[in-house]
Amino acid sequence: MSEFPIKLVDGQLWEIPASARAGMRVPARLFADRELLAAIEQDRSLEQLANVATLPGIVEAALAMPDIHQGYGFPVGGVAATEPPEGVVSPGGVGYDINCGVRLLALPIGVEDLGDRRKPLVHELSRQVPVGTGGKGSRQGIRGANLDRVLELGPRALLEDLGIGSEEDLDLTESGGCLEGAVPGSVSARAKERGNDQIGTLGSGNHFLELQRVDRVYDEAAANAYRLREGQVTILIHSGSRGLGHQVCTDFVKRMDSQLAHYRIELPDRQLSCAPVSSPDGQAYLAAMSAAANFAWANRAAIASRARGAVQAVLGARVARGTRQVYDVAHNVAKLERHRPGGDSEERELCVHRKGATRAFPPGHPELPEVYRAVGQPVFIPGSMGTASFVLAGRERSLEVSFGTTCHGAGRRLSRTAVRKQVEGGALRQRLEQQGIAVRALSSRGLAEEAPEAYKDVERVVEVVQAAGLAAKVVRLRPIGVIKG
Amino acid sequence: MFRWVDNTAELELEIEASTKEGVFADALAALAELLATEPEVQLRAGHEREGRPSVTRRVSAEAEDRPALLAAWMEELVFLAETQGFEPLAVQALELGPRSAKATVTGRLGRPPPLVKAVTYHRLSFAPAGDGYRATVVLDV
Repeated sequence: MSEFPIKLVDGQLWEIPASARAGMRVPARLFADRELLAAIEQDRSLEQLANVATLPGIVEAALAMPDIHQGYGFPVGGVAATEPPEGVVSPGGVGYDINCGVRLLALPIGVEDLGDRRKPLVHELSRQVPVGTGGKGSRQGIRGANLDRVLELGPRALLEDLGIGSEEDLDLTESGGCLEGAVPGSVSARAKERGNDQIGTLGSGNHFLELQRVDRVYDEAAANAYRLREGQVTILIHSGSRGLGHQVCTDFVKRMDSQLAHYRIELPDRQLSCAPVSSPDGQAYLAAMSAAANFAWANRAAIASRARGAVQAVLGARVARGTRQVYDVAHNVAKLERHRPGGDSEERELCVHRKGATRAFPPGHPELPEVYRAVGQPVFIPGSMGTASFVLAGRERSLEVSFGTTCHGAGRRLSRTAVRKQVEGGALRQRLEQQGIAVRALSSRGLAEEAPEAYKDVERVVEVVQAAGLAAKVVRLRPIGVIKG
Repeated sequence: MFRWVDNTAELELEIEASTKEGVFADALAALAELLATEPEVQLRAGHEREGRPSVTRRVSAEAEDRPALLAAWMEELVFLAETQGFEPLAVQALELGPRSAKATVTGRLGRPPPLVKAVTYHRLSFAPAGDGYRATVVLDV
């Protein structure tokens, strides 16, 4: 239970003052309503957020979204912007699953057109999109990918070398699916060995692929721009950089931990290990992290290609050809961006860490693809199996108060152990099937651990970010099939 | 002896053992629970029908202090599971120094689930406690 003093400063924005604990350089701020705050105070989330506020060079505040929950080092749902030259980059502030993110595909058919082909489609998706269990001979990445080119160019390498994806897919991906400054040589041989055969695999834990229908439209103009309509069938892909990204983070947490004395940095938690952005260690990490982020975008592009293959097998070539990518967003990443912290008149270059948080740039932002510039960046907020997910659009106030960021999901409420005490995998599968949700999962145990009971109410989380002006609801999605890693 | 401590999103492992070597052996036993091939996957792969012979791997780890060495040891086991499908079962002939660990580990080859992403440094500890040692490790899953 948190004992930090926290006060409401504005609508949905709460603040822990910088004086609350020794070492905090800035306040810690949280977007939540009273009920979410009460849940958040039950674990170490706020302690971890206060720890983030101690990072050298952090500006304005350590921020948390309403889906915040206890993680390691940073809380999940945490945002921190640091300013060079003193400002640091922290691998733990990005997390092990670098560029874990979400891609949404929209099929050119409505749920009524799907009819009795729903279950065969879910089965085919589970057949074509492997989880990626360990071991030689069982690994199931796409064949023929040049790993160094993927690390440098992301999904563009798959398009140019293997014909996977399209120019439109790249345009409709955050940062075009490629972070500049990626250096394949900065990624360790060990990381490459882990990732070598994993492009196009889902992974385990909370990763999933979901077949959905659009069940409500809130903003017709934005929905039209995203080319989404009520009843339409969609596919949501949640995955990241797999073992390659995990190893990059492992390598650099260890490396920076050993250099803290050199940089005269003292931290309340070793997992926050960091180095100045401008230092050789900071630059090497950003080069490797960018490469891992590019790998993750390529992974989701390959999964999308496999999903289109499943659509073709069950629904035919015309439907597969008409299956479009709506957008692809990153959840775990650090980027050099220009912002005006504290309402400054001048833009400054900051290193924005988003750990379980989504970029949400507003209408008119020059980094958005032209087709979405009038309505704002699409943001996807997965709920949990059996509950809704949302498509949001970035809003202006996100640039004023959260470095252009919003939430990333419902946020966990219960531990894996606790939820397994309440839910049995077989019974959950049956319950979901009764709700019209076809389920394929690697294991019953893994299914139970990701039960809807484990998560906060996604609708409440979304209401908070909408009321705070960070993002606005565009459409709601309901699951009709789930594939769990 | 090891136990899983309640943690909202990750897996938190607490180990108590009478010796330093015992902590390393218990860490392996804990990971063995997580890295075992799921029964459903074994069935599909024909493991039950064919059986799986015991295999061994040399595992070595280095780090700057004892808690980091425990994390490095566990990272090696996660790496072997992911790249070779090696499911650890027991540790033999562990040579433990202040900054290095070397051992032969027996196990089986299978299709371990990709559940454990990494071994974190968050609240990482390994220190004398009472007549033995206590360690805490948080795994990213």
